[in-house]
Amino acid sequence: MSARNPGTELDLSWISKVQVNQPAVLRRAEQIQARRTVKKEWQAAWLLKAVTFIDLTTLSGDDTYSNVKRLCYKAKYPIREDLLKALNMHDKGITTAAVCVYPARVSDAVKALKASGCDIPVASVATGFPSGQTHLKTRLEEIKLAVEDGATEIDVVINRTLVLTGQWEALYDEIRQFRKACGTAHLKTILATGELGSLTNVYKASMIAMMAGSDFIKTSTGKETVNATFPVAIVMLRAIRDFFWKTGNKIGFKPAGGIRTAKDSLAWLSLVKEELGDEWLKPELFRIGASALLLDIERQIYHHVTGRYAAYRDLPMS
Amino acid sequence: MLARGRGRRVLRLDHDLLQPALCSGEGGSTLWTSRFPWAERPADGGKWSGLVMAATRAESRAREIFTTLEYGPVPESHACVLAWLDTQDRCLGHYVDGKWLKPEHRDSLPCQDPVTGEHLASCLQAQPEDVAAAAEAARTALESWSGLPGASRAQHLTRLAKMIQKHQRLLWTLESLVTGRAVREVRDRDIPLALQLLQYHAIQAHSQEEALAGWEPMGVVGLILPPTFSLLEMMWRICPALAVGCTVVVLVPPASPTPLLLAQLAGELGPFPGILNVLSGPTSLVPVLAGQPGVQKVAFCGSVEEGRVLQRTLAGVGPELGLALGAESLLLLTEAADVDSAVEGVVDAAWSDRSPGGLRLLVQESVWEETMRRLQARMERLRGGRGLDGAVDMGTRGAAARDLAQHYVREAQSQGAQVFQAGDVPSDSPFFPPTLVSDLPPAAPGTQAEVPWPVVVASPFRTAKEALAMANGTPRGGSASVWSERLGQALELGYGLQVGTVWVNAHGLRDPAVPTGGCRESGSSRHGGLDGLYEYLRPSGTPARLPYRSENLNYETFGLAVPSTLPAGPETGPSPAPPYGLFVAGRFQAPGARSSRPIQDSQGKLHGYVAEGGAKDVRGAVEAAHQAAPGWVGQSPGARAALLWALAAALERREPTLALRLERHGVEPKAAKAEVKLSVRRLRDWGARAQAQNHSLQVAELRGPVLRLREPLGVLGVVCPDERPLLAFMSLLAPTLALGNTVVLVPSRTCPIPALDVCQDMATLLPAGVVNVVTGDQDHLARCLALHQDVQALWYFGSAQGSQFSEWASAGNLKPVWVSRGCPRAWEQEAAGAGPELELRAARTKALWLPMGD
Repeated sequence: MSARNPGTELDLSWISKVQVNQPAVLRRAEQIQARRTVKKEWQAAWLLKAVTFIDLTTLSGDDTYSNVKRLCYKAKYPIREDLLKALNMHDKGITTAAVCVYPARVSDAVKALKASGCDIPVASVATGFPSGQTHLKTRLEEIKLAVEDGATEIDVVINRTLVLTGQWEALYDEIRQFRKACGTAHLKTILATGELGSLTNVYKASMIAMMAGSDFIKTSTGKETVNATFPVAIVMLRAIRDFFWKTGNKIGFKPAGGIRTAKDSLAWLSLVKEELGDEWLKPELFRIGASALLLDIERQIYHHVTGRYAAYRDLPMS
Repeated sequence: MLARGRGRRVLRLDHDLLQPALCSGEGGSTLWTSRFPWAERPADGGKWSGLVMAATRAESRAREIFTTLEYGPVPESHACVLAWLDTQDRCLGHYVDGKWLKPEHRDSLPCQDPVTGEHLASCLQAQPEDVAAAAEAARTALESWSGLPGASRAQHLTRLAKMIQKHQRLLWTLESLVTGRAVREVRDRDIPLALQLLQYHAIQAHSQEEALAGWEPMGVVGLILPPTFSLLEMMWRICPALAVGCTVVVLVPPASPTPLLLAQLAGELGPFPGILNVLSGPTSLVPVLAGQPGVQKVAFCGSVEEGRVLQRTLAGVGPELGLALGAESLLLLTEAADVDSAVEGVVDAAWSDRSPGGLRLLVQESVWEETMRRLQARMERLRGGRGLDGAVDMGTRGAAARDLAQHYVREAQSQGAQVFQAGDVPSDSPFFPPTLVSDLPPAAPGTQAEVPWPVVVASPFRTAKEALAMANGTPRGGSASVWSERLGQALELGYGLQVGTVWVNAHGLRDPAVPTGGCRESGSSRHGGLDGLYEYLRPSGTPARLPYRSENLNYETFGLAVPSTLPAGPETGPSPAPPYGLFVAGRFQAPGARSSRPIQDSQGKLHGYVAEGGAKDVRGAVEAAHQAAPGWVGQSPGARAALLWALAAALERREPTLALRLERHGVEPKAAKAEVKLSVRRLRDWGARAQAQNHSLQVAELRGPVLRLREPLGVLGVVCPDERPLLAFMSLLAPTLALGNTVVLVPSRTCPIPALDVCQDMATLLPAGVVNVVTGDQDHLARCLALHQDVQALWYFGSAQGSQFSEWASAGNLKPVWVSRGCPRAWEQEAAGAGPELELRAARTKALWLPMGD
């Protein structure tokens, strides 16, 4: 991954004056989807690119070694080899960006990936995922254990209570401690935007998370009722741009939850391209947290190559 | 300073930059070195092909795209358009009376693809006889169409909506192809809005008999459209016109086929072929169209100067003129705004093919730097190219629009302005890049001139008050948006802006139910909502408007000189004598000319002298009215009502004197008493109606209300008729005051003394300057008022010549003008003397959009 975000001192003046107008952001979100579209080869290339942004995820109570192993295999071979050959893309080393699992499954994933001989990073959720409602001490411990097990990326959830009650210093301090606990592992901070109450809070929480040293900010856990939405993403992307303009540090963005179709993924790519620019369109700065998405992308690629729509049995499961 | 590639820069355009050789990339095929592939041209340097036709190589480009993540072409085929044009043998005539009209021996103009120059069809240019044929068809259709019950017309409009729905692809492709606008905007916005308009107006037609009782359709409407946005501008006007029972003749500029297609779709519906007729021809045909028998209204949509010329040309011709002029918009960005969203507002307003004109951008100084940085960053991401590409923000508007923008930008630069353009476009391409102009000195001519598409002119302001002064400091008054998260500030600005539409924290929203229009030089016609319907209605029983033009009226000298007056015999004098002088600024003042005019009674005896007012007195009166205006507008409707009622009571006390005065002028004693009584009632009625002028609308696709505000026009000039000296005076005065205007009145020429009597009460009851009464030569005073640039509206009830002159002279500041055309009015009747027509004319509508959400 790219250079780490060293973070900055807490500067509340960066968030005190901020205004986010929700209806205007909603309109922008609608427009952005209608104004950009890609077709034909562009679509195929963009979809393959989207694959390289995926944090292939399984976060279920019934995860075991066998399905984590299958997930890791799929992460290494996300698209059928013959389809890639047809596009002359088989030598591009297309894999997903990472696999993402619960802390207890990190060692399984590391083992499976090592067995298949590839260096896809393992990301682990942590800090009382998905609610964050556990003691700070155990949350920090959780991060350390996951890193010890071999996770190189930690997706932490923030304490929503601190946002809703406006305790920005406390939030900054907590994330600072998460960052410290991560050591060399990259810190991805989940804002759980569906539970923050307003877009202005989303902006403020994003800014605090970046000041505290997050390498990524992530929309949601996938477990809230409202997941990754365009309006929320626009606000977060604008915060990332503002942070870049203020500090020169590029922070990554990860939407997660509810991104299921290939068409969705294209919209997310163009959203990032429009709001932040091409520099952000690389796995070091953009991830999509998803599980079902990959299969739909593979189906679209299948259609692009063969001209026929695939049955599910035509493609390997993950 | 050569600007190329990406990155922020402020560049000054110079000639080198515009040379294609410098700007073109590899082999001269790619014109944009940055990420803005506006257009591509074949390697042989041939015609512009547009992005859509960029080479699509046979082998897979996926590898390359995988690395660059460029956008690709998203072409929309225009085969359907070509097929439609083939049905006309690539020759478009006019659509009249449900048939294509292709007369022989007409000039024709080519209709071309603005990007490639591909010849699409030739369009025949109409001649006066074609206009006559169309007007004839509309006149014939009017009989059956206007006689239909509203519900049947509603059915027909609904069928037209369905027809459009069935052929929408053809419509949007054609519109985008020939106008060069982004197809996305036509497809996703124009077409749905067109359908909503039909639906909304069908509903209005359905309930017409109840909701619009007392009104009848005007008759045949002539509609003149601009070249861009012809589809939507046409729908905004034909929908209400057809809904209320008018029939329409549309004159479109050469080579605008979309209105023709629309007319064909309407014509193919059957039973009422002549209700919508479309001619293609130059604007020089407008007077011909206006002069056709039966044409009662001319609605014009175009540039300010064209509108001004038209108003002068059509003075006295007959049809009422509705003007919608200019295309510039305004955006006011305060420090309490969500700046990023406001930047998107700028994109909506100028760089998205959504709005027809350029933008004046006012930014609070404290957020100036931040705003400029964000704007420039945003501009870098705009994509331009052929309109039929599904992923471009901006298309082209053809060579004329490009040259206009080019000229404006060069002028601005020569006046010392900074110019920022995203990407480089060679001068011989049909495209013009989004342009941001700043640091234009306030005194530079470009600051006052209308900003053309796609230019944004930014200026800083310090306080909200200053912003208002700057925003209201141009003669235009179309639309504006206010960006502030502080509700109080947003409302303060929204109410204070002198424009037709204000959006708070949004820009460019439209809805059929919301009246849209302008004020001042943007023209005072409205479309949409109830206000839009009234544009095509007149009070039932109003006689048809006939031409009353006098060809030998000399505008230069009309009313210029006042005949001098000499002592005229023994004065029999009224008793008690009213104070002598002009009633200006709350007191009686001696006239500047220091001369008087004799007033005779019905016996021809000298009744007395009144002051002879002149140009300087009118100037003083207008000034006094302006000074009184803020205070009067600021009064609550209740307070205004109370004052009108107090005035009514005073009038009642004066009844015997006033009746006596009228009797001296030959009014029967009984009738004189009735006239005074009715005058008292007018004051009371309008006092009561001063309440509840505003209301809120609920529209689709917006959470939150739209306020329909009825705002006073400002300072109104009123020239009262000779007939009914007291009643007409009161019938005209009462509504203007009730709705918050201040007024300069010229009382009856023959019998001004009752009006002066009432002034004595106004002096004690009303704030000084709210009402000013200037006696004197009617023609001369009308001339002074009509030519005064700071009188906001003129009502003239007098001679035909005076009416014609008033219409002609009001073109100076394009003030709304209402003239009697020399016809007397039945002031004693409710409809003519106190009807809703007066209420409509005494105020203007502003729509204030208030989106909500958190």
